[in-house]
Amino acid sequence: MKPAEVSLPSDTEVLIKRSFDAPVHLVWKAYTEPALMRRWLTAMPGWSMPVCEMTTHVGGKYRWRWRNNENGQEFGFTGEMLEVVLHSKIKHTQIYDPGDCEFGSMGGEPSVITVTFSEVNGITNVATLIKFASKADREAAMSTGMTDGMEMSYQALDGVLAA
Amino acid sequence: MNRLDRAFAALADPTRRGIVAHLARGEATVSDLVSRFSLTQPTISSHLKVLESAGLISRRRVAQSRPCRLETRPLKAVTDWLEQVQETWESSYQRLDALLIELKQAEKKERKK
Repeated sequence: MKPAEVSLPSDTEVLIKRSFDAPVHLVWKAYTEPALMRRWLTAMPGWSMPVCEMTTHVGGKYRWRWRNNENGQEFGFTGEMLEVVLHSKIKHTQIYDPGDCEFGSMGGEPSVITVTFSEVNGITNVATLIKFASKADREAAMSTGMTDGMEMSYQALDGVLAA
Repeated sequence: MNRLDRAFAALADPTRRGIVAHLARGEATVSDLVSRFSLTQPTISSHLKVLESAGLISRRRVAQSRPCRLETRPLKAVTDWLEQVQETWESSYQRLDALLIELKQAEKKERKK
């Protein structure tokens, strides 16, 4: 499958698109069953997901927590399900809990994540739209994940320009 | 607003992204851009002002014209971040690819029974 595409539809949003070679009911399963979510939703190599409480009920709360296998540091996300349409859409709030990790704050206000699924000929397209509460919150998330030393890539520049 | 924030705000506009893409190929004057984008001179100038205050372009004075050139430093901050987001998600998605292969096989087996 083609690698994930990241774009910036507005100044408070980030959109990530990816296709999967599987029917939508299996992709949905992998996105909603904790035993399966744990298998792929790990934040980074060397991290595990000791807490993965998921719900697909509107108004229900979820709680995800990751742990660094080496030093035991933890961080997580919590939130509430806003909209769930079977095999088609999951919309939820997301609050970052820095735990004892020093990643910096990712902004105080919850962001809203909308994941949409659509199957065409056995291929499932997944679009993840992250809407931050404000530009400042997206900025905070951004500086949290910043690294330096990467070379300017015109390919990446094309991505920004085509967004 | 800090610099990265201004760069993002400036790039949120499709015309300004077009101007940036054009300048990636080399310097251009306001009149070059007016004819390239079929926009009025004041419109182009106001877009250039936004790009300039975001640090995305710089302008030098040559006789009557002020050619614009692309400044890559703020763009690099944006693209670095996007690259990092992309890598983080892609590595999760590759694990998901592997999991889905397993789920498809399990389903096939189930059907044969």
